[in-house]
Parts: sequence; structure tokens; C-alpha cells
Amino acid sequence: MKFFSFFLIKSTGLIAISCLLLGCAKDIDLSQREDITISPDLQVDLLIYDIDQSQFVDPNTGNLKTRISDTVRLEFLDDDYVQKDLFSVDFYFRHINTFSREIESEIRFLSESNAEQFTVNYTIKPGANGNPVTTEQYELIEEDRINLVRRSIKMVVELEVQPGTSAFEGELDFASKGFFSFEF
Amino acid sequence: MWKLICFFLLFSGTVVAQNKPLLFNVDDLPQTLMSNPGAQINFTGHIGIPLFSQIHLSAGSTGADLYDIFADDGANINSRIQETMRNMDSRDYFSVNQQWEIISLGWKLDKKNYLSTGIYQEMDAFVYFPKDPAILANEGNSNYLNEPFYFDDVSFTGEIMTVYHLGINHKFDKRLTVGARAKFYSGIFNAESTGNTGRFTTYTTPNGRNVYRHEVVDLDVLINTSGFAPLKEEEGMTVEQATAELLSRSFFGGNVGFGLDLGLSYILDEQFILSGSVQDLGAVFQRKEVENYRYFGAYETSGIEPLFPDLDENDEAIPYWDIFEDEVDRNLRDQTTNQPYTTWRPIKANFAMEYGFGPAFLPCHYLSVKKVRYMNLLGMQLRGVKRPKGFVYAFTTYWDRKINENQRFKLSYSLDDYSLTNIGLMYTRTFNKFNVYLAANNLLAFPNLAKAHSASVQLGMQLIFNN
Repeated sequence: MKFFSFFLIKSTGLIAISCLLLGCAKDIDLSQREDITISPDLQVDLLIYDIDQSQFVDPNTGNLKTRISDTVRLEFLDDDYVQKDLFSVDFYFRHINTFSREIESEIRFLSESNAEQFTVNYTIKPGANGNPVTTEQYELIEEDRINLVRRSIKMVVELEVQPGTSAFEGELDFASKGFFSFEF
Repeated sequence: MWKLICFFLLFSGTVVAQNKPLLFNVDDLPQTLMSNPGAQINFTGHIGIPLFSQIHLSAGSTGADLYDIFADDGANINSRIQETMRNMDSRDYFSVNQQWEIISLGWKLDKKNYLSTGIYQEMDAFVYFPKDPAILANEGNSNYLNEPFYFDDVSFTGEIMTVYHLGINHKFDKRLTVGARAKFYSGIFNAESTGNTGRFTTYTTPNGRNVYRHEVVDLDVLINTSGFAPLKEEEGMTVEQATAELLSRSFFGGNVGFGLDLGLSYILDEQFILSGSVQDLGAVFQRKEVENYRYFGAYETSGIEPLFPDLDENDEAIPYWDIFEDEVDRNLRDQTTNQPYTTWRPIKANFAMEYGFGPAFLPCHYLSVKKVRYMNLLGMQLRGVKRPKGFVYAFTTYWDRKINENQRFKLSYSLDDYSLTNIGLMYTRTFNKFNVYLAANNLLAFPNLAKAHSASVQLGMQLIFNN
């Protein structure tokens, strides 16, 4: 019995002390915490519009106004997370056209002082009443040009109707989004 | 007998436990009264060594361990984090519990009653993994189009408090011992956010106006804090100053609350003992230094719409962004208030059944009622604790071995949310009247804590009187 007690005492003590003393963390490298990044990829809608021929009428003369434009401030482009951590942006623009004429689309990104940072120009293909035609355009801004986005604060959309003989009637729908990749 | 067992099982199933199973039903240690005020005890008085009578620390994570994140295997740590987050779910949790006994003493009033009292400090944090918000922050919405991100996943409780307690252990008759402990809580810090709702979804809209529609529905997230606001306002406060500020609230300076522990043990026959307890049936009334942060509302958008107005050079452009922001602010709101709130303490329950064999006889003492002890006890214990999303259970079986009058150990095996290989060991030794004890759970994990999902240690020293 004495031997049993002695054995129990010693083995219990040995196991407990061994476990506690051996309590350590192995096979890990905590210095990797320096490499931890958060890299969300966000799909964000930007601008939309649905317009028809009435938008192209000069209110003073009633004649066709071939060039219209509007400006939208994108204040989020000035936020810290964009200024410091934006890695790349893939812009997507889509027009669905039932006007029977080509329309030139110019999308410009301007700084606060209206300095042009980058521009996306393309021709919207003509459609027909009951036969809408889709024109899509991508613009990828990667790390080497990302400062252009960071310096931008305004998005200007301009449309210029091209000459033609057919009646200028129809609709033009615009959709746009950005695929923003961050690395925090 | 079986009616009694059924009652205990039902009782344990409806309420729930504690995280120090190795100290439960150890009749040599005064700490057993802290988990069951109605425990059978085998001493006539005790005085804890101030600040050293019990130091307890337990920490656990059901979903991930250090190795999952920081493995030294050459792979990219961010891929491992992403993989780990994807493998976890919103019922996975992280928990930390720490107790530090400041004063502990007790003495036998007469043959039937033992009075015990003391002060301890406790910190308890329980955080469910907020899977959806975490994945949205880490990966974004691009890979999760048409899948909602639920804000319901945000659920946590955290508190630091000092507990003043007074308990009585009453030997009702030869078989039944009952006990109760009244607790006065002095809250130092509290933060909680439970019962949140809301979801954010990015829908693809092939026939819609834009490529997507972003939608926030039914958002209602509330974070209650007490004791946090003054620390936040004190700019430049050092860690020492903050600690001093927190400690000043330990002595009735903060938010107060009341609680009760109840327990009993019943000798079915000479060798069969049942015991059960409920701890922390109580609440803390958060009245001072309260701040509540609420985020609520609903909104959907597909983008900003320019109107192509006919402007000349002197006209101001339409402030689309400001209009958009105002609309978002009107629909997705945030509020900071100072509404008092009440927090229920995490109720814990224990139920144990023991079978003793190998009788040993105690030294005769006129205050000691318990005549027969056993050198060996085989037991099983069900324990649990109520957390925001339900009960967290653990089941333990153990061998409690009395080596001689002065030494004892307890070997346990537990099944819980953390591990299927949780082996625990408790050892206590008394030198004359000076007692020391050490208990640790999940011993197999100690050689490499990086792969451990949980670990728990209790140790302490005190004077225990038997005559």
C-alpha cells in the first residue's frame, strides 16, 4: 500500500509539473502577424440614369441639344480607406440604347480643382425602337495608376449625339459599378 | 431514488455550469463551497492566504486555435485566416474567465452549520464569432452576391466585477446537506450586445436599373456599456491611471447587483452521493456611466442618379452626394443614449453523482458529522452555463483518489465544445494546516498550447482546520 501511495504521489506530481512546465506553444510563428492584411473586394453601384429624347431638348429654343452632361461628386473617394488602402478598381459602364443614332459617351474623373485625372470614352452603338442595343465598357485601374482614382472626387458624364437623318427618339439607360479591391 | 435523479437531471438541463469541475465536490477544499454551497465538507474552519487562496484562469475557443492562424508551414497567413473564418460558424465562441480570490474564510458555527465568506474579483468574456460581419470585412461582398450578411451574428458579453459573498452550509440530517450563498456584485465594467438583427445583401439585378441592388433590412444593433465612457473621455489616461480608476469601482463605486447560489448534496446510501448546485442566480443593475450605442433602420440603393439639368456656368451643380448621404442618414440611423440596463449573470448549474469505495475513517472530532469517507470516488458531473445563444454544456467523469490524510488527487475526463480529449488533474496537499492545491484541465494540450482549444488552471493556498 505504501508503495502504491508513493507511486501515485510521484507520478501525479510528475505529470502535473511536466504538463505545466511543458506548457508552451510550438510549430507556430507569431511574427507572421506583421503580414496580416484584410483584403475585401467590394462590388459597388455607382451612377444610373434612364433618359429619353426630352432630355436632349434645348429649353430656350426647343431644338435638339446634341451635347448634355452632369457632374456627381463621389465623396467616398476622399475617405481614408480609399486614400490609403485602395489597391485597384475595375469600372464597368453599360448603356442600353434604342435611339437610332450613335452617341459618344465621355466619362471623366476630375480632381477638386477640376483637373482631369482619367477619362473613359466610347461610342454607344445605335439601336432601334423595340430593339435595344447594349454597349459595355470596362476600365481597369491597377496599382500603377491608382493615384488617379485617389485624386479624383468628381465623375462627369457627357453624351454627344452624332449627326443623322432619322428622327431622334428613343431611350438610353445607363448603369455603372466599380469593383474596388482594398488591402488594409 | 430515480425520481431524485430525474429531478436533478431536469434541474441541470433547464439551468446550467461552471468551469472549475476539478474543484467540485472536493470535500477537503473550501473552494468546493464556491461551486456548491451545499457540498459535503470535511473541515471545521479555513482562512485563505489573502490574494493567493484561489487564482483561476480559463480560456477557450471552439472554432480556431493559434496553430490554425500562425502555423509555421510556409503558407500565407491570410489564406489560413480566410480558411479558418470560413470553417467557423456563428455559434463558435471565444471565452475567457478569470477569478482572483482576495479574501476567503469560514468556520463551523455548530455541529450542523458552516459559515463562509469572502471577496473575489471576476472577469468573464464570452464572444460569439461574428461570422457574417467578419467575412464581409475580410473578403467583401464580391464572392457573396445574393447572399445575406446577418448582423444577428454579433453577440457578446463581457464584465469585470468584485463579488462580496456570505454563505451557509447546513447539515439537514444524516443524508441531506443544503447550502446557500448570497452575493453582492460591484460592477467595474460591462459591455454586451445580444439579440441583434439585420442583414445586408448585394443582389444581382439582371432586369434592374443597375448591375446590383444593395439592401440593408431590419437593422437593429445595440451595444450597451457601463464603466467605459469615462475611460474613453479621458484622453491621455495611462494604463496605470485607467487601472486605478477601474479598481476604485471595486469597492461599491460602480454598478451594483445581487445574486444567489444554491446547492445540496444527498447521500442515497453509504456509497452513493448526489449533489447539485445553481450559481449566480442574479443580476447587475447598470445605472452609472452607461452608454448605449444603437444602429438601426433599413435602406436600399442602386446608385446615384444624375438628372442632366440645364445649367449654365454660373449655376450650382446639384449636390447629388449630399442628397444621397442625407437619405442614408435618415434611413440608417445611429444613436448614443444613457439608458440604464440590467444584465443577468451567466447562470451556472452542476449536477454530480458519485460512488465511493474503499472506506477510510476520519479522525474523531466533536464538530465533524461526516464519519465515513472513501479512499476512492468515481463520479460523473454535468455542468453548463447559460450564454446568449443558449446553454454551453460539459460532461465530466472523474476518479477522485485520497492518497492519505494529507494528499488527494482527482483525474477527470471531460466532453465539451472545445475538445473530446480533455484530461484534467487536481492535486492537493496539506502540511499540518497549510494547504496548497493545483488543478489544470486539458493537460494533453499543455505540451503545445498552440493546438489547444482550451486550457484552465486553478491554484491556491490556505489554512484549513480540522480540529
